[in-house]
This record gives sequence, structure tokens and C-alpha cells, in this order.
Amino acid sequence: MKKRLMSLLMVAAMTSTMFVGCGSDASKETSATDAASSDAATEAAADEVVCPDEITIMVDATVFTEPNGRDQFIAKLEELTGIAKINVVQPDHDAYYDVVGQTIASGDWPDVMILGPTYLSGYASQGVLWDMTDAWNNSELKVRQTAFGGNVDVEGLMINGQLYGMPATRGNGCVTYLRQSWLDAVGMDVPTTYDEYIEVLRAFKNNDPDGDGQNNTYGASAAGFIGGEAPYINYWPEFYQDAFPSFMTENGAWVDGFNSDAMKAALQRMADAYAEGLIDPASLDQGTKDARTKYFAGEFGAFTYWAGNWAENIYQNLSQNDQDPEIATMAPIAEVGTYINRLSPAWCITSTCENPEGVFKYFIETMQDGADTQFLWTYGVEGVHWSTAAETLYADTDSPKEYAQGEFHGCDNLENPGTQYTKAHIDPKLALVELANDPGALSETAKASADLFTANCRNAEMVPSTQEMTDYNGALTTLKNTLIAKVVMGEMTVDEAYAEYESNPEGLAYSQAIVDSLNK
Amino acid sequence: MKNKKLFLKMYKYKGFYLMFLPVLVFAIIFFYAPMFGIRFAFTNYNGIKTPDFVGLDNFVRMFGVPSFWKAFFNTIQISVIKLVLTTTIAVVVSILLNEIINIHFKKAVQTIIYLPHFMSWVVTASLFTLILAPTSHGLVNTMLINMGFINENEMIYFLGKESTWRPVYYLINIWKETGWQTVIFMATLAGINTELYEAASIDGAGRWQKMRYITFPALANTILTVFILNLAKVMNLFESAFVLQNDAVLNTANVLETYIYYQTFNSGSIPNYGYTTAVGLFKSLVGCVLVLVCNQWSKKVRDGRGIV
Repeated sequence: MKKRLMSLLMVAAMTSTMFVGCGSDASKETSATDAASSDAATEAAADEVVCPDEITIMVDATVFTEPNGRDQFIAKLEELTGIAKINVVQPDHDAYYDVVGQTIASGDWPDVMILGPTYLSGYASQGVLWDMTDAWNNSELKVRQTAFGGNVDVEGLMINGQLYGMPATRGNGCVTYLRQSWLDAVGMDVPTTYDEYIEVLRAFKNNDPDGDGQNNTYGASAAGFIGGEAPYINYWPEFYQDAFPSFMTENGAWVDGFNSDAMKAALQRMADAYAEGLIDPASLDQGTKDARTKYFAGEFGAFTYWAGNWAENIYQNLSQNDQDPEIATMAPIAEVGTYINRLSPAWCITSTCENPEGVFKYFIETMQDGADTQFLWTYGVEGVHWSTAAETLYADTDSPKEYAQGEFHGCDNLENPGTQYTKAHIDPKLALVELANDPGALSETAKASADLFTANCRNAEMVPSTQEMTDYNGALTTLKNTLIAKVVMGEMTVDEAYAEYESNPEGLAYSQAIVDSLNK
Repeated sequence: MKNKKLFLKMYKYKGFYLMFLPVLVFAIIFFYAPMFGIRFAFTNYNGIKTPDFVGLDNFVRMFGVPSFWKAFFNTIQISVIKLVLTTTIAVVVSILLNEIINIHFKKAVQTIIYLPHFMSWVVTASLFTLILAPTSHGLVNTMLINMGFINENEMIYFLGKESTWRPVYYLINIWKETGWQTVIFMATLAGINTELYEAASIDGAGRWQKMRYITFPALANTILTVFILNLAKVMNLFESAFVLQNDAVLNTANVLETYIYYQTFNSGSIPNYGYTTAVGLFKSLVGCVLVLVCNQWSKKVRDGRGIV
């Protein structure tokens, strides 16, 4: 009875506030006016949805942790969404997926959880996740995302046309950064084709771009010759170009990109560049931190790394290392066409959730309402994570930061004093819905990099999970990675590598079994 | 009657049994309860769904793939060679240390060679990756260039070539673990009666003869004990191999535990824990057999004293 009464009240409230949560404020009224023009069917469906009284969410540390003001964040979220009680289960970040697995196995599932694409695909195939396709198709959220181009990222997470998780942001991806001072030193422009790119790497390798009189620089470096997770090729786009070493669709059917001529050509390009000394040989076994450190120390000139905030980080770190911090963000060369936007982790509703429509509407949809709730997910709680008050941070240090009244800035980090909060769960530059009154806290460097990426990217593909994938892909990927490393390092020719791939029972045969299962 | 005696005895020593109780509970919870997971080795893991019983299918599959056998033989080879090398060198170093007369110098050397043992494998791997890097920043390659052994275009990728990976791996293990292993040998050496050496000197024995006829025989039992104890653990090889290996050397560096890791985390999907549990169970069984064999061997050479 109480629930029914609540729902009636909600329906009444929604006719004036439309789809932006159970609370109301001026911005939501604006949304209501816009939404009133949406089709009647959507309204009718929405009106039947009841706001849940209590939900349990399972999140990793991309949501504020307890020492970082989680309680204040959740309290504000409850206020904005109208959900009376939001329980949070937040395991240690590094052990998140272990705990998710244990929780799923225990049968005591949360209503909502964050899942990366791999886990989303796997759990969706096992029936753990609620199919939110209809809810999304009939939602105002889709309208808002479509208006901002964010719907493409959501569609990228669909499995056979069904949606089981809602991303809060774009996945982001890598762009290639070139040292401007090195380009100036060798008298070259930002390359636009592969041939020009190789010429730049040659000049970085051979023409003493750092001017120290020694032949001690490389053209490019990265963590591994192939990435450890999808989309695998994002650290070497100029070499891989149209090649992809794993499963992808071609003319509507699943194929293994490793078996293609494009992949063979890509491996030959990398092998040639390695043999010529253009690629840092230590790329084989170094981590991303090693690669960053080398770039900051001036050991190589072309660095493909994450767009957005990382551009600012690179700039700051180059400055701290007494390097010229100016970097040229390279648009994808002609042969690459577009960088790859990786699939984003998504908010999923479990199939045991009692009121999935309500959770979708009042929890997931409000996260991207373009107004107050999205602002909360983007920047956190005023006075805890951000402020507009006049104040001086770090006054007793060498680098005090002074802010005038009304100037938006991050508060001092509660867990790591001395650093400021820059964002909450949603990276403002990766949002799928335009945030009204965004204070624009991103630096120009970060913004330029993110804009370039956004204008030149395509979505990575979501690969469904099959039994064959589970059984064979571990061995297959290990073999592929070994062959790639050996070819690049010149220990095998491309033909020898593919001959071994075809003769090894864990090579082509496994690949074909997985492809067949995907095409069933 | 016998049982009554036993219960009386237990009652009499109830304090000891009470003290032992936490250990028993700990062992049951952390050692025995997880063993129920072994059942997954005979199933097809289905996530939330009930695992399908597949009998020995996982084992059949395991024995039929070359990468498993490669990892199995790599494990045996790497572990045994590592054990022989580190034990031998630890014995030699212990004897040399024992010969040092200046006590301060001896202690200083001991401390220096112990220290690497306390470094984590992650730090050790980072350190040697830097030292052995095939770039102008790699210490060893720079030295080889400066000494004229190689030129700048011939730098050696010690950790990236199958031919050099294992020797380097053994060297790193020797550097890291020799000092620690000398502790037990040094203790044995300290226990040798000095009168034996004095008597040998009076009989005209030189340093080498004293070492051959007094030190070695006194150490022999300890060497064998250490060897047997470590031989039982040869299947447990993960961290040191994992942090030093890379894609290019997996043919020679992939061991059973890293094989399980790659099978699990390279699948790009929710892994089939049934298969990896089967591999783990096989590894445990081989380890168990080794322990039993070593136990018998230990009983033979140590006057009936086993290791379990």
C-alpha cells in the first residue's frame, strides 16, 4: 500500500520533473519542459516505474572510497535520486573481480554492479544480468545521449543487439604524442602518413634530437608489442593500422583478425622498425610506468598513450624532469584512419533485482541527467570534493594555490593530502551526456587531446563469451603473443610464425573453434 | 581399554590439547576446507550455473596439448637445475666464509650476501631488467660495448632471448638466494669441533686436506637434508619465473604455475576454472609424490628420520 502510494506520488512528481530522479530543482524543471515533447508511449511506460526504496550497489574504487568521502557522496545521491537507502559494497579495487565472482557464486547478488566488458559479456551469457535494452530504448537517457553522440558508446556494449550494462563515460583510448622540441630539432612536421611517421622515428633515432651529442634515443616505445587486454593494438596504432589480432566482425560474421593478411603486414612493419632500431627493444617486457618514465626522461620521442587527462600529466611530468613540455598530439595517420575507443566499464543490473526498471530509471538514468545528479557523479560533493569558496590551499608549501570566491576548484584530497580532487566517477571529458553548467575543470592540454581523440576514434567491438572462448582463448592468446614477440624481434619470419601457428594444435585449430562458436 | 587409556592421557594433558586447538582450527579452515575446490577439476566450470561433471575430460585435454607438457618439463628442469646450482654455490660460499679469519670482514660479507634474499621478486626483476636492458641505459651491455666485445648494434637482450634467459635466471637466483642458504651450512660448520682441525694440523694436513677430510664429511648430511627438503618443493615455482619472463621466452620460461595464470587471465572471458584446477591438481599430485619419495630417501640417509 505504502509502495503504491509512493508510486502515485512519483507519477505526479514525474509529470513535472520528467525522468531526472525523484527530487526536483530548477534544472530538472528545465529538463521536464524538454522531455514533455517526447512521445506518449515513453511517458506511459515511465509512469509505471516505481522508485526503489533501497538498493545495494557493488562498485570498485572508481566511485569515491570511504576515506574519500563516500558517505557524504551517497547521502547526496540518495537526496537527489529519491532512493531512500543506497547500500554500497566496495571491495578492494585490485581484488574487485575476485569478490564479484565470489558474490555471484554465493547467490547473494547486489542490485547493481560495475563490470568491465569482459565480465559483462561473460555474466550476461550466464543470465546474471538484466536485459536493459527496452528500458534504454524507451528512456530519455537515450535521447540525451543521442543528442551528444554518446549513444554510439552504449551501442558498442550491446551483445547481439541486447544491452546488459550502461556505461557512464566513453571508454577513452590512446593518441600519439610527439615531442615538439624534437620535431623542431630535426626540422620535421607532425606526420600524416606511415612513411612520414617512419621518417620521424628515423630522425628521432639517428639525428640526435635531444642535442646531447650521443646516439641514445629511440623513435618510439610502449609497454609490450601487443596489449594485454582489448583492444590490444592501442599502443602501436601506426604499425598495426587496420590489423587486429583477435576476434572481430567482417561482413557480419566473426573472424579471427590474427589470420588476416593485414596482420601479417603489420608484423612485418614492426619487425622492420625493430630491426632498424626505431622501436625501443625493451618494449618487450616493460610496463606502462616504465614507458612513461622513459618518455619523461627524454629517451624516446613518439609515445602513444591515453587521451585527455594524461596529456596534462605528460606535460607536467616533462616539466618536472626539465624537459621541454610541449607535445604535439598527432591525429591518426592516413593508414590508421581512427584511433580505437575501448569499451567502457558499465553499470549492470542483476537479474535478481526486484525492481530493475526502477533501478534503471532512478539510479542509472539519473547518473547521466545532464544536471545535478550527473554533476555529483562528475565532481562529487560541494565542500568535500569541490568548492567555489575563496581559499588558499597548501599555503604552507612552496606552491600555494589561491582561489577567488566563485572559482571552481577541487578540494584537498582527504586520503592523500597535498593533492586535489579532479573528478569523481565520471570524467567530464568522457561524458556521454552534456553536463549543464560544467565548470570546465580540465586544462587546455587535456581538453585538446581529448577533443582530438573524440573527433578521430571508432569503438572497439564487444566480443560475446562462448564456451570455446573460455576453454581455448587463454592458450591461443598466449601463443599469438609469443609469435608476435618473436617476429618483431627478428627471431622468426612472418611466414615461419604462421607456419607454427597453423601446425600447433593450440593455434589455428583453437582459433577456428572459437570463430565457429561465435558464428553459431 | 586402549581407548580409555588414550582419553585419560588426553584429559591429563588437556592443557596441551587446548593450546593445539587453534592450530587445528587454522589448519582445517585454511588448509583442508579449500581442498573441496578440487572437485572443480572434474567439472566444466559454468560460473553461476551448477558445474557440469565431465569426469576426466579436463585431464585428457591437459595431457593432449603441447603447451602443458612444455610447462611441465620446464618446471622440472628449471627447478632442479636451480636447486643444484644454488645449493652447490651456497656450500662453496659457506666453506669460503668459514675460512675467513677476520671476524668483522666475515660478518660484513655474510650480511651483504644475505640482503638480496629480503628483496621482493618484483623489485629484483625490475633491477635486473634495468641492468640487463638491451639499450644504452643497460649497465651490462654498456660495459660489453666499452670493453669492445660487442658494438652498439649487437646489444644482447639477455631476458628476451630463449638462449640466454635460463642462464640469467639461474644467476639471478644464485645472487638472491645463495646468502640465505649459507645460514644453515654456516651453522653446521660452526658446530664442527675445532680440535679435529688442530689434530689434523698436528698430523700435517694442509688446508685443502682439512677441508676434504673434516669439513666436507661434516657438511654432507646437512647438504643432503637441504637438498631433499627443497626437492620436495620443486613444483612450486611461480613468482621468480613470472616476473622475469616475457612473451618472447615462454617456450623456455613458462612453468606450470604461470601456465595456469595465462590460461586463466588470457582467455578474454570468464575462465574455465575446471581446467586450471585440473592442472593445479596434477601439479599437486606430482609434488606429493616427490615429497613421499624424498621422505623415503631421507629415512634412508638420515637414520630413519623422514621429512614428514
